Amino acid sequence: MESLIRAWRLAHASENGKLLASTLSLTNTDLEEFAYSTNSARVAEDIFRTLEYENSAARPKVTNKAGLEAWAEVYVGFWKVAQALERYDEVEWGTVFSGMKEVTQAVIRGFQNAGWEVWQLEVLFTACKYLRYVAIRADEAKRAAGEDTWKQLEEAARIINRAFNVCLNDRAELAQSRKWGTYYIINLLFKTYFKLNAITLSKNILKALVANTTEMPDLLDFRTSEVVTFKYYCGVIAFLDEDYFKAEEHLDMAYRLCHKAAQKNKELILTYLIPTKLLTHRQLPTAALLKPYPALEALFLPLAKCIKAGNIREYDENLAKGEDWFVKKRIFLTLERGRDITLRNLFRKVYLAAGESKTRIPVDHFRAAVSWKSGVDVEAEEVECFLANMMYKGYVKGYISRERGMVVLSGTNAFPGTGV
Amino acid sequence: MATPPWRTAGGTAVQRPGYHPVTIKKTLGTTAAAANNYTASQKPASRTQFPDALKAYVARTFEDCPTENKAEVEVALKKIITEAFENGSVWTIDWATYPLPAAARRNSGDSDRMDTSSDDASPVAAPAHTLGKFHKIGKGLNGSTAVTTTNGNNKRKLGSRNQSDHSEPDRGTIMRPDKRSKKQANSDYSYEGPDAFKKLDRKYKKHQTKNVFSQYNAMHSALDSPAFAPVVGRSTKLEKRYLRLTSAPDPDTVRPLHVLEKTLDLLKSKWKAENNYSYICDQFKSLRQDLTVQHIKTDFTISVYEIHARIALEKGDLGEYNQCQSQLANLYADKIPGGHPHEFKAYRILYLLHTCNRSDMNDVLASLTPAEKQDRAILHALAVRGAVASGNFHRFFRLYLDAPNMGGYLMDSFIDRERLAALATICKSYRPDIPFRHITEELGFENDSECEAFFVKHNAADFIKTKDDANAGGKGKIVLETQRALPTLEAAKAAAFKRVDIKGQI
Repeated sequence: MESLIRAWRLAHASENGKLLASTLSLTNTDLEEFAYSTNSARVAEDIFRTLEYENSAARPKVTNKAGLEAWAEVYVGFWKVAQALERYDEVEWGTVFSGMKEVTQAVIRGFQNAGWEVWQLEVLFTACKYLRYVAIRADEAKRAAGEDTWKQLEEAARIINRAFNVCLNDRAELAQSRKWGTYYIINLLFKTYFKLNAITLSKNILKALVANTTEMPDLLDFRTSEVVTFKYYCGVIAFLDEDYFKAEEHLDMAYRLCHKAAQKNKELILTYLIPTKLLTHRQLPTAALLKPYPALEALFLPLAKCIKAGNIREYDENLAKGEDWFVKKRIFLTLERGRDITLRNLFRKVYLAAGESKTRIPVDHFRAAVSWKSGVDVEAEEVECFLANMMYKGYVKGYISRERGMVVLSGTNAFPGTGV
Repeated sequence: MATPPWRTAGGTAVQRPGYHPVTIKKTLGTTAAAANNYTASQKPASRTQFPDALKAYVARTFEDCPTENKAEVEVALKKIITEAFENGSVWTIDWATYPLPAAARRNSGDSDRMDTSSDDASPVAAPAHTLGKFHKIGKGLNGSTAVTTTNGNNKRKLGSRNQSDHSEPDRGTIMRPDKRSKKQANSDYSYEGPDAFKKLDRKYKKHQTKNVFSQYNAMHSALDSPAFAPVVGRSTKLEKRYLRLTSAPDPDTVRPLHVLEKTLDLLKSKWKAENNYSYICDQFKSLRQDLTVQHIKTDFTISVYEIHARIALEKGDLGEYNQCQSQLANLYADKIPGGHPHEFKAYRILYLLHTCNRSDMNDVLASLTPAEKQDRAILHALAVRGAVASGNFHRFFRLYLDAPNMGGYLMDSFIDRERLAALATICKSYRPDIPFRHITEELGFENDSECEAFFVKHNAADFIKTKDDANAGGKGKIVLETQRALPTLEAAKAAAFKRVDIKGQI
């Protein structure tokens, strides 16, 4: 306990937020020692006394009596966490979680009532971060026992949401404001809401953020890692909303700012950026882009090839092959629209095969092409339906004359954006 | 000579206490007196009894004992206790301060040795001395030099130190002088790598064995909660008006299962005979309510919900249908036997098409099992979804005419919308016109007059014209003038897609 609390004093002496936060880390090497250093009957007194001692040893003093009490609450909670983790053969994650809850709530109170300063925000980050981790472990333990629940993670989300408000609504002048903690906490919330499949709640966060936007520091003044994560989630939220242009903007920024060594993060961003670009600009990923990400390469590259070649059957097959993963990532329904582009490319080839200047092409030619490339005999009505859709969406300029069974294509720019 | 318990009866199942024993430490001077007291007053009635202090001692031993040392500790413990019984000292030893077996310690090493021998040597270190040391350690941390202390007092002592606490500050224990404390420096303290969670996952994995009790406990705590206590009904009336509950249900008005079963039969025959939806819906709601308050979750429950869902579908009451649907999803998920989960999964897909709920659709797709993907109704629903997604109205209307079960009723709810979408596409792409007959066939109308009625409803009848056709021998041909009709139909389509809002939607 003493070394932990000493670190607490030293952190205050040098205003070292990371050091201070590390006293609440579950990877702290002193966790075991801390767990054994007292017992449940004495913990409150022991901790307060140790804090008091370290406080009186500090020049100047770290805090006053009220401040000591606030910190004592934090460490008493943390001792329960340490005890539950270290002193039993089988970790009871529910107990760890309730301890971590106390820690986080005490930290939030510290910021609200005990006047903790902006350099101490790391403490809030660490508490929330582990609260989420522990909640997931607790829920997983219950789920392993057959209970279908995310109750504890939901509870964690509510507490982290309070941390969010504590940051967002701080009225202190900017240099001293807790607003600097906003994006870290938002990212934690996003992660949690996505895990809970409660994406609408993320939108509420964004709304609250927009309402406060004038008083917020510029996004780019925050740590780049926070910006990248934030932009990634904004992009995915817009993507799920089918607002692909906005999604592209966010994801593009995340991709550009992402650290070059953060392969995993870039892979995550690309997972959504590739389908987005497919829809917004009908852009396909190149082999070189996909090379560093074997998982993406295996799924996206064959699709891109089929789209380019207008190969409907193989496109369907490749889509089906990746379906499980695509559905899990929520990009299946978007990728599916790539089929339109595949068809467009096929129709374009029919048009080119007929000769540049020819603008009247029998529907039957298109039917033959679709039947060939999809491997099933397609009816003329269905091909007309495909063509009609292309024209409606602006992929093809022209019209169908049903009377003559002809497709009449525009003399110029019949396939916009493809050079013909 | 006393016989240790395990020689006479069974084994030594040592139970971990649910509390942390805090035992009062005796000074040497009082120990003898206390021991005498013990001998006098607490002499065991039965030979195989443990003194309470010994029980606490055993518990304490195992409390901190590393798993891998358990066996060793047990042996050591048996030896200690057997000896104590054999030389008759079991009731005289002050177990509260008796050293623990070495193997029970987390770290073997010098701290252990100190612990086992420290009973009288170091419980209370001189305050002035330790205070001085304490400061030094602070400096050491600052300058990140290695810190060692010679203090051998043991962590566990903190728990059994009550007596000395009031006179002594807690400085007696500073740090365990093991390897880890030695490198206690700033850098070590503030370092937390990016893979902290992975480290934790690894570290605490070994403890992850499935806890058989947790399920049991969860079940019990749920049942114990008064809010969830099921009611047992006493009413014998077959019919009952639905009333939304605002307080705890009254058993006199709740019908038990055997009555409800008769109710269902009655309702089925009434539905066939009278076809009165408002009556039947009301009755089904009260039936469902009685099931809920009595916690009845059986195949009977499933059939009630399924029948109500089908009736609601037939009458196009999607709000009520959806309530049944979500309850059914829970019942199926609880693995209650019976029912038609595939049929209703297919409805669910069609329903989500109706509400244009893409994120839920994604969830449903993700949840499909291989067996479900073989089911005819589900395959149909998936094909409908694919057709809608790709705008393939040709296929869509074929599937509409060929819907299994009651899927057609569900598709009715969004068929007009899809017709408008198809018409907008057609009007945009066909020139100069399109045969009316073709529209009737492509958009799944039963006949031309039904198709015409549709156009009238959407104020587009003006665009249907009779055209002289030279090829048809002067006979007039009915066509739709596509270019002129486009704006009207486009507006109707936009309006139709805006109006997707269903009560009771999950």
